[in-house]
Amino acid sequence: MKRAWSFLASAVLFAMVLTACAAPAPGSAPAEESAATEVQDFVTWYQYDQNNEDPASDERVGNAYLRASIPVFNEAFAGKWNWVNQPKAFDKMETELITAVQAAGEVPDLMHAGSGSVTTFIRNGALQDLTEWAEAQSWFADLDPNGVEACRGPDGKLYCIPVAQQPQLVFVWKDRFPDGYPTTPEAFLEQAAALKAEGHYAVTFFGSTDFDGEGLSRFVWTTISSFGGKLDDGAGQMTLNTPENVAAIEFIREIVAQGYAPEIAFAGGFQEEEAFKDASAGSFPTGIFGYRYVNPLTAPNGTKYEKRNEEDMLDAIAAGDVFLAPFLAVEGQKPGCNISVSGFVIPVGAKNVEAAHDYINWAMSAEQNPGWVLGPGGGFPVLKTTQSHETFQTPFYQQAAEVTAASACSPWYGSLERRAEAQKLIMTAVYKLIKEDPTADIAAELTAVEEEYNVGG
Amino acid sequence: MQPSVPNQDRAGVANNPKFWPGQLRQTAHRGLRVWLRHSLPFWLLLPTLIVLGITQVYPGFYTLWLSLQTRQPEGWEFVGTANYARLFNMRLFAESVGHTIVFLVGYVLVTLGAGFGIALLLNRKLRLSGLYITLLFIPWVIADIIAGLVWRLLVVPDYGLFSGILQNPALFPPNGLSILTAVPPRPWLGDFPFPPAPAMVYLILASAWRALPFIVLLMLAALQTIPTEIIESSRIDGANRSQVLRFILLPLILPTLIVALFSLTLSGMNGVGMVFSLTGGGPGTSTEVLSHLLYSIGWGQREFGRAAALAMIIAVVNWLLILGTLRVTRLNG
Repeated sequence: MKRAWSFLASAVLFAMVLTACAAPAPGSAPAEESAATEVQDFVTWYQYDQNNEDPASDERVGNAYLRASIPVFNEAFAGKWNWVNQPKAFDKMETELITAVQAAGEVPDLMHAGSGSVTTFIRNGALQDLTEWAEAQSWFADLDPNGVEACRGPDGKLYCIPVAQQPQLVFVWKDRFPDGYPTTPEAFLEQAAALKAEGHYAVTFFGSTDFDGEGLSRFVWTTISSFGGKLDDGAGQMTLNTPENVAAIEFIREIVAQGYAPEIAFAGGFQEEEAFKDASAGSFPTGIFGYRYVNPLTAPNGTKYEKRNEEDMLDAIAAGDVFLAPFLAVEGQKPGCNISVSGFVIPVGAKNVEAAHDYINWAMSAEQNPGWVLGPGGGFPVLKTTQSHETFQTPFYQQAAEVTAASACSPWYGSLERRAEAQKLIMTAVYKLIKEDPTADIAAELTAVEEEYNVGG
Repeated sequence: MQPSVPNQDRAGVANNPKFWPGQLRQTAHRGLRVWLRHSLPFWLLLPTLIVLGITQVYPGFYTLWLSLQTRQPEGWEFVGTANYARLFNMRLFAESVGHTIVFLVGYVLVTLGAGFGIALLLNRKLRLSGLYITLLFIPWVIADIIAGLVWRLLVVPDYGLFSGILQNPALFPPNGLSILTAVPPRPWLGDFPFPPAPAMVYLILASAWRALPFIVLLMLAALQTIPTEIIESSRIDGANRSQVLRFILLPLILPTLIVALFSLTLSGMNGVGMVFSLTGGGPGTSTEVLSHLLYSIGWGQREFGRAAALAMIIAVVNWLLILGTLRVTRLNG
């Protein structure tokens, strides 16, 4: 009897394991399939979360955009598509997409992505070629050519749809730089010394190696390009050891050595913003999208901007306490800056490409495009007709447009294809040269880095 | 194993009443029962084997395969040991090995030392010792990421809770101490990162704080299994406190100490949450340990082949650590 029970128990256990392994995936029931033929889900991945209503959330602008837009889209495509957004962490979503595509897992029908990720996606076989479809759309001819170029892969095909351009610029406290932002390195160092004498820092910036060297795409590239430097030879090889690059790093090294930047600039976690928020630092070179993250603000004259949302910076600019400026530049050079493009990609394996196409057309429409650029885009419109929309005629956007026009903005990576690897390598080297070992030979370190990268090709 | 049917010639079977139909059925049932009895352990183990196969063996072989590939737009391309070669040519890899050794030694020593000390105190049956144990368990229930963020917020330069004290030049001459951004001291032994950067020391302390409850509980349980008679008789024989500790307590809890050492070494080698949220491998590369480098190459740079190669190296180091610990355990009887 005992044996019979043992046998029965093991048989039941075995059956349970087999049943668990063979259980159909949720959602594959025939009844659901027939329902799905009526209204199909359209799945997107954004770094924003429509269900997060926290007014203190860093991503409240994008969150609010999705919250408002999803019902509008669903109404416009009633009976056809049902927009389902799956929020993802901004620094994980690219990797998540690549692994999902390679593992033939669940991928979205459309993802919000930046142009900087395009080559990584292409190397990993994660994106669909959108060239033929995009060129056939009515809005394509209206796109800014620079935005389109940023979305092309090394093979010349279009892999993303550009919607917003995000140049880097400098947020400046007017009372710290009453005569305007310095235009040359010498003038900057002179004013920085004067500010230091008054107990203030001239600048705060993303100086750490955090987020795999994200700082390179911000202040470091802004400085290097303003000194006429480059990071590549135009043919995919890294060229770091150039007189311009060395001069740029010497300049940053001087800023750090003289104490013109606060220690928090090197702490990572975007905490360098703190020094601008309380005006202990007079300027902050960062992306145009920075306006929505840097708050609340306390001006040098004590005025507080405390709505604790993106309006704080816009109010400070409108009140004249903060102004936007191009970075300084050496003689003969325009101020440099990084520029990235934000838009849409359609992954390989997307189930509902038709809905993705409908969504892109909807987001590119005259009614929807300004909202997207202001919300998830956080930059300038790539569509030329949207650029003249009243939304972009505010003091903030007008100043930003002037700054961008006065600068020579370009993507930091040039022809480098292994961008994430290059970013970490270069930023680690720059950090070492400006902070960790300020006496190290700049040229030797830059040569070592470029050799390490180029060998890996 | 006994054969279920006696070894007789087939003609004899028909004439033997033992093998008439009813008997034959009975014999077959007996044979099945014997087979089931013998194979039952296998069936009971099967679910575990299936789970282990899916969660351990398959990913292990897949990682090995992946470490020999690189990704091209068309698919995976076999590159032999190129990923390993690239790893060994990375300056950061060599640095990370040094940082990992420093971290592991510091983490294990601090946690074991503090854990043993606290366990000794709690073993004295202090008043409110139950409360102390409960309080001690707080770090254990906090996730690595959260613990790292809290420790980080305490010392963020200029704005952290303790930054006013730490950055006071009078207390930490000449310029005060900014833990998260302080430059590491010049190494004493070539390029080996010792003495560690303040951020590394802080990371070790934070990680030890997080692991302490488990180690204390382990040690306390071991200490409480030691019969008080042994300690009392040693005292009667004239042993002082340090002699009791050295010759009675430590030898008796040695197996537990080895388990603790084993657990701490592996968790220190493979843990990434605290590094990720507290220092992010910085300042510069001064807390870049192998587990964080693996995360960075895989999830930051999306170089899955190279990350798999590093994962294999870490796995081999883990195996060596396990074998070493087991050998030490055997040597100590």
